[in-house]
Amino acid sequence: MSARTGQSLHPGLNLGEEHGDDHLEAETSVFGFWVFMMSDLVTFGMFFAVFATTVPLACCPGPKELFDLGSIAWQTAFLLLSSVTSGMAVLTMKQEHGGRGACSKKLVFWLLVTALLGCAFLYREISDFISMAAAGGPPTRSGYLSALWSLVGLHGLHVTGGIIWCLVIVAGVLVRGVDRRWKLTLLRWAVFWHFLDVVWIFIFTFVFLGGLL
Amino acid sequence: MEKSKELYRYLTGFALAALLTIIPFTLVATVGGARSYIVLVLCAILQVIVHLRFFLHVSFRGQQKEDLQLVLFTGFILFLMVGGTIWVLGDLYTRM
Repeated sequence: MSARTGQSLHPGLNLGEEHGDDHLEAETSVFGFWVFMMSDLVTFGMFFAVFATTVPLACCPGPKELFDLGSIAWQTAFLLLSSVTSGMAVLTMKQEHGGRGACSKKLVFWLLVTALLGCAFLYREISDFISMAAAGGPPTRSGYLSALWSLVGLHGLHVTGGIIWCLVIVAGVLVRGVDRRWKLTLLRWAVFWHFLDVVWIFIFTFVFLGGLL
Repeated sequence: MEKSKELYRYLTGFALAALLTIIPFTLVATVGGARSYIVLVLCAILQVIVHLRFFLHVSFRGQQKEDLQLVLFTGFILFLMVGGTIWVLGDLYTRM
């Protein structure tokens, strides 16, 4: 077993040797989460496929009337920054919590910054939804709008889930300290959070920018 | 040394991802036009690779075989399902 501690045991940032058994334990747990994440990507893929087969109808306002490029740019910036700060959180755990013990302020700081950026993203997204509905583009208006709302909304739901999960981790490491359970949870949450940003790349490219071209 | 290298990796990824985001947004805000679409798609694909490489630490070397197979198989399934849907329905659309 000890010969394997040096190598990468699963995709994503590995805890490394100084975490001892926690590092080996992460192999099955994180790999399993990757399998889930891949199936989630297929779900998103099908929502994209449905969206791609719909056309904005002449009856209703189209992308140019409904989308606000500035707001999309802000959302993209918030999500990209939060992806980096979530990486900082995992890096802090890897580098400063090799042994068991109380959790550092730095780890909590990065987790809270990530959650805050996620909330800023959601705030912008929800106000965009509200102004879209006000501009005559509610999801019930056409097939295109249904596909648009469900694809972007599904992503928004994932972000909401990710924020709640992040806050649960903050509570967990504060109460229990950074033990094996919370280390593995943090690793899996980071994979989830990074993938939300990957999905967002496709959303802003094909849905928003592609629509505005 | 190892620590700063890991931090540097995230920051490199951030710089590249920011660049690959700014290019398509500026393009749509200024030039526009259907011909810019290819640049959008190219930037998106590059940025996904940047995210996988620098944030999610997926690489072709030093990775366990099953991990890479998992990612590639998912890519294949997505290609079949999304590509197939667009192909079939796009074909029907042109016949309408």
